[in-house]
Amino acid sequence: MTAILTVHAVRAGMRRGAVEFLNSLRNATDVGFWLVGAVVTVVVLWVLRDEPVADLGISTAQFIFPGLLAVQMLVVATWGVAVILATEREDGTLLRAKAVPHGTTTYFAGLAVRTLIETGVALLLVVVPSVILVGGLLDRGPVALSALGILVLGFVALLPLGLLVGAVSRNPRAVSGWGLLVGAGVVVVSGIFQPLVTMPEWVQIVGQVLPLYWMGLLLRAVLLPENLYVIEIAESWRVVEALGILGLWAVVGMLVAPPMLRRMARRESASVLERSRQKALERV
Amino acid sequence: MDDDIAIEVSGLRMDYGATEVIRGIDLRIRRGEIVALLGPNGAGKTTTVEILEGFREPTAGTVRVLGTDPLAAGEDWRAQVGVVLQSWRDHGRWRVADLLELMRRAYLPYGRDVYGVDDLLRDVGLSGQARSRVRTLSGGQRRRLDVAIGIVGRPALLFLDEPTAGLDPVARREFRELVHGLVDAAETTVLLTTHDLAEAERMADRILILDGGRIVADGSPDALARDIASTTEVRWRQDGERRVHATADATSFVRDLLAHHPHGIDDLEIVRASLEDAYLAMVRRRESLETEGVTR
Repeated sequence: MTAILTVHAVRAGMRRGAVEFLNSLRNATDVGFWLVGAVVTVVVLWVLRDEPVADLGISTAQFIFPGLLAVQMLVVATWGVAVILATEREDGTLLRAKAVPHGTTTYFAGLAVRTLIETGVALLLVVVPSVILVGGLLDRGPVALSALGILVLGFVALLPLGLLVGAVSRNPRAVSGWGLLVGAGVVVVSGIFQPLVTMPEWVQIVGQVLPLYWMGLLLRAVLLPENLYVIEIAESWRVVEALGILGLWAVVGMLVAPPMLRRMARRESASVLERSRQKALERV
Repeated sequence: MDDDIAIEVSGLRMDYGATEVIRGIDLRIRRGEIVALLGPNGAGKTTTVEILEGFREPTAGTVRVLGTDPLAAGEDWRAQVGVVLQSWRDHGRWRVADLLELMRRAYLPYGRDVYGVDDLLRDVGLSGQARSRVRTLSGGQRRRLDVAIGIVGRPALLFLDEPTAGLDPVARREFRELVHGLVDAAETTVLLTTHDLAEAERMADRILILDGGRIVADGSPDALARDIASTTEVRWRQDGERRVHATADATSFVRDLLAHHPHGIDDLEIVRASLEDAYLAMVRRRESLETEGVTR
């Protein structure tokens, strides 16, 4: 019986996520954010289309393209989710969810579904125009298709991180501001724009703990010419290690997030909400 | 457990750190009653309601709401309880009808006679706003939407926290009529909190006055006014001069007055203390006690 009720709540969550996405499409700020992000990315790739990387025989555009997909995922599934969750805790969305049966399950299912749709759209907005305008990005044909599987695994690894950040912070403005700075740092140490092997050793160590590096590595392994493993650490694509570590992030995230989120949701109440409302009003 | 009892609380206490917010509440609310929890800001009203809603764990005491401990209660219990929250800006992008449709779906598996969206919109007077975005609603309309979300599952018990705060007098009156109309029909038990006495008097058939974390008075609005402020004011004009006298027994006072002054008494008025006088007298009494405590 409990399982049936949970399935019902998750289905309601899918509906919730779809409505949220459609509502977001009607919002000029949201749409503008997606479009500007996509346009900037495509323009950067286009400008760098003939810029060679040392004497590897590929363009800078080709080299950074796989990493940019990973960054997009980080922006939507981690940073974006953290901002949404912190905002919706503050404005009472979560408290409202908590007041109806299985409402929290529905809420989080909705947030995951909405984020999945948004990630897909954000990636398409970048991939389609850049493949057409830049060329040489998906040359490996069928092998490149496995990038889809990597993106799905990356989504499962990065989404819980966003939920956790949103769950520990009560201030959406801080999450959005500091989050961008921290996110930029993560991108730098994950060897997205510059091969990690060229960076100081401590950066390499930090980078190899984070999921973003391994996601970028896997995407390069399937999108760049096979022989380019020479620019990677240990001169190898390290596919097994990469899948293992990214998978570990995903599993740990899925184990840790639900109890954390339940704990967080338990603490929501009208008086807690009123305090954050007062604080938010003071800032205005 | 008595089936007629919706809420039963004994020895309820709540501390936040060293501050005692609730210092021992015993309470029984029968099914179908409309009860107002009245008290000045900081009296512990919201905390009490949050404990009853299952959103907060008390420091001590036993709580039974619809026969169950709210903290241990499952989703079936949640499906019988409606909470009217004061919305701020949540779901601002949603269409009114979309939001209600999502909310009603939450109750469908629990065998309740769940409201249809159209009927619900009609009953709360929002039929014209079905396709409107929530953020475009006026304050009064938004409060109606809050009520709609609270009652969509036709709850056996409804909590309303400061339901009319921020509404203008017309919207207040409409809101009261709305809630009365809805609960009369369905025999819903209602517990509302307010710091507005006139509000409590008009909406509830029983008032609990909460002050300093304790229930200091409990009864119908009339009974409270009678019991707490047992004095009545007698006003009259004597030889052109205004006189006022406060007494517990107005009838004999007036009899004596007229017996002693067969002529020259004009404009005789007997004013029974209102609930407001009683309430203010009580709050003032506590404040003066507290001031004494501080100076000592």
